[in-house]
Amino acid sequence: MRLPAPNALVGGTLIGFLVVVAAVSSVWTPYDPLRLSFRAKLAAPSGMHWLGTDEFGRDVLSRLMAGAATSVWISLLTVALAVSLGTVIGLFSGYVRGWVDRTIMAFNDALLAFPGILLALGLLAVVGANKYGIILALGIAYAPSVARIVRGTVLSLREREFISASRVMGNSEGFTMLRHILPNCIAPLTVLATSMFGWVLLAESSLSFLGLGVPPPAPTWGNMLAGSRPYIGQAVWLGIFPGLAISLTLLGINLLGDALRDKLDPRMRGAR
Amino acid sequence: MNRLLASAFTLLVLASPAAAQSITVAVAADIRSNNPGVNRDDNTDDFALQLVEGLVGYNEGGVATPLLAEKVDLSADGKTYTFTLRQGVKFHNGAELSSADVLWSWNRYMDPKTDWRCTSEFDGRSGLKVEAVTAPDARTVVMQIDKPNALFLDTLARTDCAMTAILHKDSVKADGSWDKPIGTGPYKFGEWKRGEYFTMTAFEGYKSPSGGQRDGYVGSKRPLLKEVKFLVVKDPATVKAGLISGALDMAEILPSDAAELKKSPKLSVAAEPNAVRHVFLIQTKDAVMGNQKLRQAIAASLDMDEIVASFYNDLGKPNTSPIYSGSSYFGEVEKKGHVYDPDRAKKLLQEAGYKGEKIVILANKRPTVPSFPAAVVAQQMLQAVGVNAEIEVLDWATQLDRFNKGNYQMQSFSFSARFDPAIAFEQFSGPKDKQPRKTWDNPDAQKQIDKLYVTSDRAERQKIVDELHKRVIDEVPMIFAFNGLDIIAHAKRVQGFKPWQSKLRMWEVTLAN
Amino acid sequence: MLRFALTRILMSVPTLLIVSVSVFALIRLIPGDPASLMLGDLATPASIADLQARLGLDQSLPVQFGIWFGNLLKGDLGQSINSQQAVLPLILQRFWISAQIVLVAVALASLVAVPAGVLAAWKQDTSLDLSLVAVATLLLSIPTFWLGLLLLLFFGLKLEWLPVVGYVSIAESPLAGILYLIMPIMTLFLHEIGVILRMARASTLEVLRLDYITHARAKGLTEGAVLWNHAFKNAFGPTWTLIGLVLGNLLGGIAVVETVFTIPGLGRLLVDSIFARDYPVIQGCMLFVAFTYVLVNLVIDLCYPIFDPRVTAQ
Repeated sequence: MRLPAPNALVGGTLIGFLVVVAAVSSVWTPYDPLRLSFRAKLAAPSGMHWLGTDEFGRDVLSRLMAGAATSVWISLLTVALAVSLGTVIGLFSGYVRGWVDRTIMAFNDALLAFPGILLALGLLAVVGANKYGIILALGIAYAPSVARIVRGTVLSLREREFISASRVMGNSEGFTMLRHILPNCIAPLTVLATSMFGWVLLAESSLSFLGLGVPPPAPTWGNMLAGSRPYIGQAVWLGIFPGLAISLTLLGINLLGDALRDKLDPRMRGAR
Repeated sequence: MNRLLASAFTLLVLASPAAAQSITVAVAADIRSNNPGVNRDDNTDDFALQLVEGLVGYNEGGVATPLLAEKVDLSADGKTYTFTLRQGVKFHNGAELSSADVLWSWNRYMDPKTDWRCTSEFDGRSGLKVEAVTAPDARTVVMQIDKPNALFLDTLARTDCAMTAILHKDSVKADGSWDKPIGTGPYKFGEWKRGEYFTMTAFEGYKSPSGGQRDGYVGSKRPLLKEVKFLVVKDPATVKAGLISGALDMAEILPSDAAELKKSPKLSVAAEPNAVRHVFLIQTKDAVMGNQKLRQAIAASLDMDEIVASFYNDLGKPNTSPIYSGSSYFGEVEKKGHVYDPDRAKKLLQEAGYKGEKIVILANKRPTVPSFPAAVVAQQMLQAVGVNAEIEVLDWATQLDRFNKGNYQMQSFSFSARFDPAIAFEQFSGPKDKQPRKTWDNPDAQKQIDKLYVTSDRAERQKIVDELHKRVIDEVPMIFAFNGLDIIAHAKRVQGFKPWQSKLRMWEVTLAN
Repeated sequence: MLRFALTRILMSVPTLLIVSVSVFALIRLIPGDPASLMLGDLATPASIADLQARLGLDQSLPVQFGIWFGNLLKGDLGQSINSQQAVLPLILQRFWISAQIVLVAVALASLVAVPAGVLAAWKQDTSLDLSLVAVATLLLSIPTFWLGLLLLLFFGLKLEWLPVVGYVSIAESPLAGILYLIMPIMTLFLHEIGVILRMARASTLEVLRLDYITHARAKGLTEGAVLWNHAFKNAFGPTWTLIGLVLGNLLGGIAVVETVFTIPGLGRLLVDSIFARDYPVIQGCMLFVAFTYVLVNLVIDLCYPIFDPRVTAQ
């Protein structure tokens, strides 16, 4: 048996750690992440508060732990929504071509041309300001990029010999699509989905930064980071730790995504 | 070297002309127009009122006092006001002020095509009607109103009406469209680059009212700075950086930055309370919130000191009265308000029969208002006595929409500044079925407020105010928490500046070199 | 080729139509309206109704849309509710500011990131590859406003090399103008390096595994020739598409960077107008961004066959 690739190892460790932290936070955090402490506002990291406290005297470590679960959950659901929606649209559009494709792409481009911010604000206002609003808004905002990439892959694959071969062999269009084209979309999609996971984490904090996010008192890394800005001079730890948490999570998820792609790529099967 | 390079460019770019006598002030938003009282917001009013003046203006204590007028005489029947203009007052174009200019300005304001914000305040639609304005001679203007009104001068002086400023007729073009303000104020309109900056320059021919001292919008108003450039900087962190680096000479800062900026050797920080009232609105028509005992319980559960501190740290003080703390009507009675008593709150909750129904507090995250931090701290205190409180964060326009429709249980909200008690009460009192935005719907109280509008006697008015204050505290149609605070940081070389009612008055301010 | 371009331009008409209708509907679904925002907490129902009538907001939605659309066909995007400026000149003025930042940042980032991505793919699984990917991933994962603020604190405050507030157009003062643009460009540049490098690497890896590369190698071509003639050129297609996406998204999403550095660009105009519910400006901005985006995509698609001969333009 071979050792796993280094990227899988590092990525797996980071994400594993994240999952453990998220799980632990649902049972235990050092302090209540919502508990205010008026005496310990903006306290620097110390033995009592390892990562310091925020402007309301809430324990940063506890909030970071609780935020792990929320942030990861929001990002995962959003990516899942965007990828499944986009893949279906892209596959269909790229394969049928003709006027159907053109119509779908017109809608797709229209959606794509919406800055996510406006779409998010609009949908949030209609759905209500909660995390499902964010998921829906960002999911819909990112689906068109997926559709475009999938369609692009389908378009370039159509002309390849093995697709024609499949057709010549009498396989149905649907079978060809699922058996030969979909697997070939996985590699670019994995890359896209992993970056998208990052985009969502970032989009959430950017929205909070612009004042459009969902900033419940319950912590997400995004709103912790956005909330830290006014205190950057007095309390660097407020921004550094959520920033670090986001960066490390992204690093982990990207490394894991790369490793996953190596495994999933059909042409790599059995190659090594 | 680097430092030199940077400051050279900074000077070159930010304070181009007459750098030595000019200062750069950061403002959070661009002005909406340079047309006083027409297309406006508070920020626009602030700029306009450096350029133009009205017959009367507020003094430091919020009382309308002669400004372009030398004196104002009221007839015995309370319906005829005679304004005598000060002599030698000049417009920015050199023309001398006369009663004809007052007439011209007034007619322009009352023309619906002008879109003056306050037309409806004087044409009878809001209860006050100016029936005639005449100019018997060049220095006298007579205004006739339909019935006695204790607030006529006050309304003329209102900042959102741009003080009913007297303008020279060359302020509009030949075709009647707006050009630029030619007023009598201490500063002249400079240039305006939309979205970036606007400037004003000293009016050399300014004739200051007598009084020797600065006093609100009246008193001594000499323009001692050559040029003031207002730079639009939205982001508070950038403002802070600009102040520290010296690129900005003055700016309103976030309360959370006050302590840090105070430590800077180059900067001073000035803080003064204003008439803005931060408040927890309660929808008394709501099934849960309709219960007065529950509302009293909520009021008793709030430790106001901590709520103030959540935004203003150690700079602010609680004030649970609808009357702002700087008002001359703020007396011993108004000082007695809600008392923090969690045990009493728990008892009241029981008496109210509260069974853990969810109560949602609406808030917004604009960095300049305490809406969100106050809500977070209040939520914690409510939960501590057993109230199931939640926060819903909205953008400001959405929250305002919910306010106007009366669609909420609680809101962490701010009432804009109103000086006179009558207007301060009118702001939130009235029938909800006609005006859903009203928070206090009590016909008895409304009668008393109406009385405030026509009563001129000071002692009588104080009695009514005291009465109304006690009612608000007892009925808890909303919970007043604390007054706003203007916190301005400025370079130490800028001297003689004092914040007042959120206005950055640039007269009598000097620059030490 | 020409027919392709013409078809694409015709195809973009429905896209833009969809954008106009949906933006129009969407912003009116959001609670709050410009009239009550302008009047604030002192608004009476009567004064709100007055103002709405004056702004033309009292008419039915289809009528409002009809008026707006009719003017649009005449090339008139209307007037801002807040500043009363004509919308089109306002947008063009702000767009130019955002465009110079975005274009320079993306061009620089592509110049660095595409070769670096190809290099990483070529040296796959070496420490060079790993560190390039790690750097890209880190850059990608730092929020732009955080990065911007760090730059601001470091170069603006600590070293005092660059101005911290304000904006001067290059036309007004070329030298100072450039100074003001350095940090925003640097922020976007660093961020986009991460995005583009990863994509370039992934596409190159795809291509490197294909049979013709193996063939080329089997034919005894040098690694350099294989990389340049076969791998790089073919891998550029997908990367090119992504650069198009990045450009389009940035125009909408640059608001964050513009807010940190107080740059009066298109992004900030849009966000400010959303908060102020300045309908004509929002509609104009959205339509403009959509139009630019369609245009960018058209150019990208027209160029696609140049990079990937297997796709015929159709």
